[in-house]
Amino acid sequence: MRVDRADKLGTAISAALHLGVIAWVVLGGEWFKPKPSEPVVMSEVSVMSEAEFQAMMAAAPKAAETPVTEAPAQPATPTEATPAPEPAPEAEVVPEPAPEALAEPAPAPEPAPDLTDLAPPEPAQVTEVPPTMMPPVEVPQDTLSPDFSPRPRPKPAPRVAPKAAEAPAPDARVSDMAEAETRPEEAAEPEEVVEQPKQEAAPPEATTEIVTEATETEEVAKTSAPLSTPRPRTKPAKPAPAPTETAAAEKPAAAKTPAKPAAAKPAADAVNDALAEALAGETEGTGGTGRAASGPPVTSGEKEALIVDVKACWNVGALSSEALRTSVTVAVDMKPDGKPDITSIRMVGYEGGSDAAAKQAYEAGRRAIVRCGSDGFPLPPEKYDHWRQIEIVFNPEKMRMK
Amino acid sequence: MLRIALAALAALMIGPGVALAQQGPLRIEITDGVIEPLPFALPGFVAETGDAGQMAADITQVIASDLTGTGLFREIPQSAHIQRFSAFETPVSYPDWQAINAQALIVGGVSMAGGKVVVKFRLFDVYSGQQLGEGQQLAASSGSWRRLAHKVADVIYSRITGESGYFDSRVVFVSETGPKNARLKRLAVMDYDGANVQYLTDSSTIVLAPRFSPTGDRVLYTTFETGFPRIKMLNVGNVSAQLLPETPGTMTFAPRFSPDGGSIVYSLEQGGNTDLWKMGVNGGGATRLTNSPAIETAPSYSPDGSRIVFESDRSGTQQLYIMPAGGGEPTRISFGEGRYGTPVWSPRGDLIAFTKQHAGRFHIGVMRTDGSEERLLTASFLDEGPTWSPNGRVIMFTRESSGAGGSAQLYSVDISGRNLKAVTTGGAASDPAWSPLLP
Repeated sequence: MRVDRADKLGTAISAALHLGVIAWVVLGGEWFKPKPSEPVVMSEVSVMSEAEFQAMMAAAPKAAETPVTEAPAQPATPTEATPAPEPAPEAEVVPEPAPEALAEPAPAPEPAPDLTDLAPPEPAQVTEVPPTMMPPVEVPQDTLSPDFSPRPRPKPAPRVAPKAAEAPAPDARVSDMAEAETRPEEAAEPEEVVEQPKQEAAPPEATTEIVTEATETEEVAKTSAPLSTPRPRTKPAKPAPAPTETAAAEKPAAAKTPAKPAAAKPAADAVNDALAEALAGETEGTGGTGRAASGPPVTSGEKEALIVDVKACWNVGALSSEALRTSVTVAVDMKPDGKPDITSIRMVGYEGGSDAAAKQAYEAGRRAIVRCGSDGFPLPPEKYDHWRQIEIVFNPEKMRMK
Repeated sequence: MLRIALAALAALMIGPGVALAQQGPLRIEITDGVIEPLPFALPGFVAETGDAGQMAADITQVIASDLTGTGLFREIPQSAHIQRFSAFETPVSYPDWQAINAQALIVGGVSMAGGKVVVKFRLFDVYSGQQLGEGQQLAASSGSWRRLAHKVADVIYSRITGESGYFDSRVVFVSETGPKNARLKRLAVMDYDGANVQYLTDSSTIVLAPRFSPTGDRVLYTTFETGFPRIKMLNVGNVSAQLLPETPGTMTFAPRFSPDGGSIVYSLEQGGNTDLWKMGVNGGGATRLTNSPAIETAPSYSPDGSRIVFESDRSGTQQLYIMPAGGGEPTRISFGEGRYGTPVWSPRGDLIAFTKQHAGRFHIGVMRTDGSEERLLTASFLDEGPTWSPNGRVIMFTRESSGAGGSAQLYSVDISGRNLKAVTTGGAASDPAWSPLLP
């Protein structure tokens, strides 16, 4: 049987391939098997607080930070930083000025530090050019600074009062000196004195509640821009017919406060007021004064005026926390001119605190009566018998959280 | 018309009863007042001996600074005074002081003899026209004149507000020098207002979190002089310090005295876990107070010594807990958003001051001991480590500014959130701890 040459060649190739496969199976697993991964070394890590961590970092050598401190000393850095301001206009005209700009700082004595390792510096060079410390390069880093610049906020008002008041104009001056009273003998003279118009005193700046730094920053952080567009105001309603009572309107509307309490009186108060007014009219008509019990009662509006007057002088800012939890009742005998008889001021009772706290609270109340009563309280003289003695309950309930 | 009709109807129905109802005094209730600094007048104290002029001026200035620094008082400038005092016994002309709206008047005299300074003063209530309390006289060596002034201011503060003062006290803190990445720290002590800074340690090692003893004669702090945090107790009188004993292989930190000064509560780290421990001031009788896998630290006793408030992350976030002083099941008291830490019990016992981290900002706040009525007083890049004034009215803390050039500074704030101001220490400072009132 004659074997063709081509068949021989094919047999030889086949045999070689088979041998190769057998060899890969026998030896390949050893050569190409995956190397075992390196064992994981376990080490215990203790958790430490941030303060400890910072302390440890501070205690560690400064190796980690040294590149930053060394960087400014390199002469290459200033050549890029310094030309920025001046050569810019020239660079727009011709591209060549750039090297000129670099040439200006080049003669500066920066090379001197490079030679210090090789040779001692010459004294003349050192004295002429002191080794100025370059400021460390600010490494840009993630900061918590806001991405907007809020406008400077005005300092919070030092006074907390029931009514807010704008800061007085810069040229307004609040004087510590009270105006001198007119002497009686001068006033008795019948000369007609033209009264000079007085400039109204600016009320002290006040806010209605204590604004802490936390509150302020909350407001600022949230409002770099208006978050919503306010709707246009509705068309104002037609003005109502003027009420018959105008006492409340006499007060200047300096403070931006909502409606006066008198405007929102309950029906019962309105009845009392109407009753008092009606009775007052009768009394005036007859012209008799009579005993206290026979006169008209003090209206709630008149009471409100008294309250407004006294609370403007009731300063609880210096009271202790305990005194601010104490409610005191103070009695005072009044003079017919509306001024309090200072010697008659006394504490009738208290609740909510110790004797010492009640004493402090009483002192604050007494000061309020004396200070604001020095010019007389706004009480109707014809009803004197009803207010010849007044009891005032000073209850700092609303002042605790301010 | 309607009102008149109502009036007529009411008059018919009530009749003479109206008059009878008005027999008693007119009664009103006031619930709203004002909060503003109380104006006071402080004429320069009279120099009663020839060489006491400067001393009298200095003492007057410190008293005024103490009172106005509280934010509760406002000094009326001397240029506005009408009456002048040439002698301590000069009778007070109350109308002159009422005219300038002074509500309190302080009159004093200073004399010097034999290295001693004698200060006497009287406080007057201008609107009642009478003296407020008895006059007092204090004496000390001339080197302690600032303490004399602080004592006078404490008495005045107490008589007007009804609570004790805090001016004659000291603050121990960590004085910092050098760049932020290589800061040198050492213990220092100063008057509460930043005067008389004195260093207690050198800057050879890191020191942290100093705490005064209840008597103010010793200071506990954490030192890294062994390479690991350890507690050291320093005698302020002779500036000698000793390491407290500890178990090898542990780290101890965040110490604080008990109110009776007899024991120390602190954090101990062992095997990766941090718990609270207690031991005697002599270093003996170490007792474990907590035993949990969480980190418990920053313990602080209640004023009566019966409870301890501390921070723990046992709930998954850093919160405040209270437990009995002898250990036991703690009760969580903080439930607001953010992380709470470094709680400190008020000397009055009613509030707990803390550090709060929320929304990328740090706050100093106060809450009641049951966690209610939380109020944040400050907000900044980094506020931490509150400490109470001896009367529980003011909180001092550390404020660190941002940036590579930022540094730490001490600040104080009234518990109402008002009167936030920096405390001058002559350099960077952190970790303040207020002493009790000095004797």
